[in-house]
Amino acid sequence: MSTEQGRMLADTLTRLFRDQGKTQAALSEAWNDGLWQQLHEMGLPQLLVPEDQGGAGGTMEDALPVAQALGAFAVALPLGEVMLARQMAARCGLPLAEEASLVGLATTATGMLGGEAGDEPLRFTGTLHGVPWGRHLQRLLAVIEHPGGPRLIELPATAASCRPAHNPAGEPRDRLQFDQAPVHSVPCPPPVAQDLIYQGALWRVGQMAGAMHSLLQRTVDHARDRVQFGKPIGSFQAVQQQLALFGAETAAVGCAAQAAFRCAARAASRVGTVAGIETGGDAHFEIAAAKLRANLAVETATGVAHQVHGAIGFTREHDLHHFTRRLLAWRSEFGSDRHWSELLGQAVISRGVDTFWADLTARGDAMAVPA
Amino acid sequence: MDLLNFEPVSLPAGTAAWRQQVRGFLAEHAAGIDAERRANAWAVFDEGFSRALGARGWIGLTWPAPYGGAGRSALERYVLLEELLAAGAPVGAHWIADRQSGPALLRYGSELQRQRFLPAITRGECYFCIGMSEPGAGSDLAAVRTRAERRADHWLLNGQKLWTTHAHRAHMMITLVRTGTEAGQAGKRHEGLSQLLVDLKSPGVTVRPIVDLAGEVHFNEVFFDDVRVPHDMLLGQEGQGWVQCTSELSLERSGPERYLSSHALFVEFLRCADPQSQAQRIEIGRLTAELWTLRQMSLAVAGRLALGQDPALEAAIVKDLGNSFEQALPRRVQALLDDGLALEDDTALARVLALLLQTSPSFSLRGGTREILRGIIARGLGLR
Repeated sequence: MSTEQGRMLADTLTRLFRDQGKTQAALSEAWNDGLWQQLHEMGLPQLLVPEDQGGAGGTMEDALPVAQALGAFAVALPLGEVMLARQMAARCGLPLAEEASLVGLATTATGMLGGEAGDEPLRFTGTLHGVPWGRHLQRLLAVIEHPGGPRLIELPATAASCRPAHNPAGEPRDRLQFDQAPVHSVPCPPPVAQDLIYQGALWRVGQMAGAMHSLLQRTVDHARDRVQFGKPIGSFQAVQQQLALFGAETAAVGCAAQAAFRCAARAASRVGTVAGIETGGDAHFEIAAAKLRANLAVETATGVAHQVHGAIGFTREHDLHHFTRRLLAWRSEFGSDRHWSELLGQAVISRGVDTFWADLTARGDAMAVPA
Repeated sequence: MDLLNFEPVSLPAGTAAWRQQVRGFLAEHAAGIDAERRANAWAVFDEGFSRALGARGWIGLTWPAPYGGAGRSALERYVLLEELLAAGAPVGAHWIADRQSGPALLRYGSELQRQRFLPAITRGECYFCIGMSEPGAGSDLAAVRTRAERRADHWLLNGQKLWTTHAHRAHMMITLVRTGTEAGQAGKRHEGLSQLLVDLKSPGVTVRPIVDLAGEVHFNEVFFDDVRVPHDMLLGQEGQGWVQCTSELSLERSGPERYLSSHALFVEFLRCADPQSQAQRIEIGRLTAELWTLRQMSLAVAGRLALGQDPALEAAIVKDLGNSFEQALPRRVQALLDDGLALEDDTALARVLALLLQTSPSFSLRGGTREILRGIIARGLGLR
């Protein structure tokens, strides 16, 4: 997909989301089946699936406008999760029926697979935690450890007993319990299994970039409209300085998101090649750095947005909370500040002081474009 | 709000080889430098190093060959600069001429001026300083009062500049002076300003070094007492000084020097890092993520500058975030290490930390204060 096509996709989604009714709540609270059907008909769930497996063959960089738009409009639908689930299935060679549009992905599973590999169907007994929109799903994927190596399993979500739960933004994060549920399963190469949290984190970075940008715009608009002491509060230097700081943080997250998505796209195209091996073959460093940077920015973004909005922004009725609560919730999903900072710090320390700068620059240099 | 445009840049093919070439030079000319000298390297004045760099053709890297330049791309120059700074090479002598004065001469200078100064700059032999601030004109730059009067044979220059970095060692100063309207006239403060190329050896120029709080001399006060400046040393147009000097600010604000001033400390911190300390792992991880992001942002601005755009707002954002990072770094390291490290110890880490704790307040003052930058960002957001 070219930059131009990416921009068109972003415009299409913006129009689609903007036309979804008069209230933000219509997009951000209740399950919107009509909207889901439209997204499905646009083929978006298949965006990351290779063309030879019936998908659109898009890269993560192509998908960034989708993640940003979902964040910018605080859309309460698991489009990203379904896209990642289908990508995961394609990577492991697990065929998924097209008509089962709502295929989810669980990242935290406890339980066991009964039966021997090759002895289909295996049966899964256990619990999947924090499943995004679990109650709405038709099928569900999870990676389960197995004596012969990790396996990607496909479960009928409807066979689960579902205990509803939510993240602080009110997005469903359900607990699904299975008892001897029949599953399809295929081996999941360990690198693919390890990549799962990175792909999830990257997606959240895209959503956070979109949500933060939208939050900044709304906050600036409010500061220009709201009059106190006879003038817009945005004309006070004390408010301007805070908004400038918020703007800089938003810019940092936007830049980090673009860089990490691009890097993920290029790394994926090199998997298995010599160049891929030499440069780490993945975008894990960039994704870790971008998610951590986005997490850190949540502090200023949500803090300034609420402070500038004052009491009205603290009401259920106002739209502000759809964005601030999501940012706060997403900060904890797919890796907290501690998770990513410790992981990055460990990697940097173990590589040693003499390679730090060389590593940092080599990763970008390896992506240099041929003249 | 598409104003926050930080489209990531892809470095040109051959970058890795070019970087190796620069590292080869640095291994020869900038190895084994003390950590304190590596800190804030772009303020460290070393004529020998500048001449060696000039001899390689790496000052004025992007300038046209007739003026001694190498005609290379802006992104190749970015790679050169970040390598010099990460290695802590003493680039202070030629830094301002390479970054600002040379580009100003290329853009606004006469052929005579270019021929006279640019080749000497590229050889690492001619150093410039920037005469902007005055006692009554700091952040409020348009309040400058230093005045040049047009006489029959020359400009007659009187007044005073302040905080002029390296004026005591530079040869030339691009001096912002009032040639027309008085500073006091409301609404016309940006008019009547011009830029003069002042030879600091001229009679009537007095340079007095100012000792900074750490006991070092970087900046100066400079007095002009009936200094005669030849007519042909007017840079660009008379009365266009404000536009000319503010048009260079994106170059000044977005480069790698805006987040690498404390890099020597990060290196020493990493060298002494204790893998068993969770607190240190976490802090190093955070610093790494911030540094990576800043580099992406700075590169994105470099990419736009290379396309001939003037991303002034984005440059202000890079400087604000970058300065905050390099300024906070010493205090963050101190907070982690004060149990196991005495600041008076004679170790590289202790010495560079002690120095940067003292000097880092200047990072958010020089080249546009944090408050001025945030005012620019607020304007970009539509608030002013």
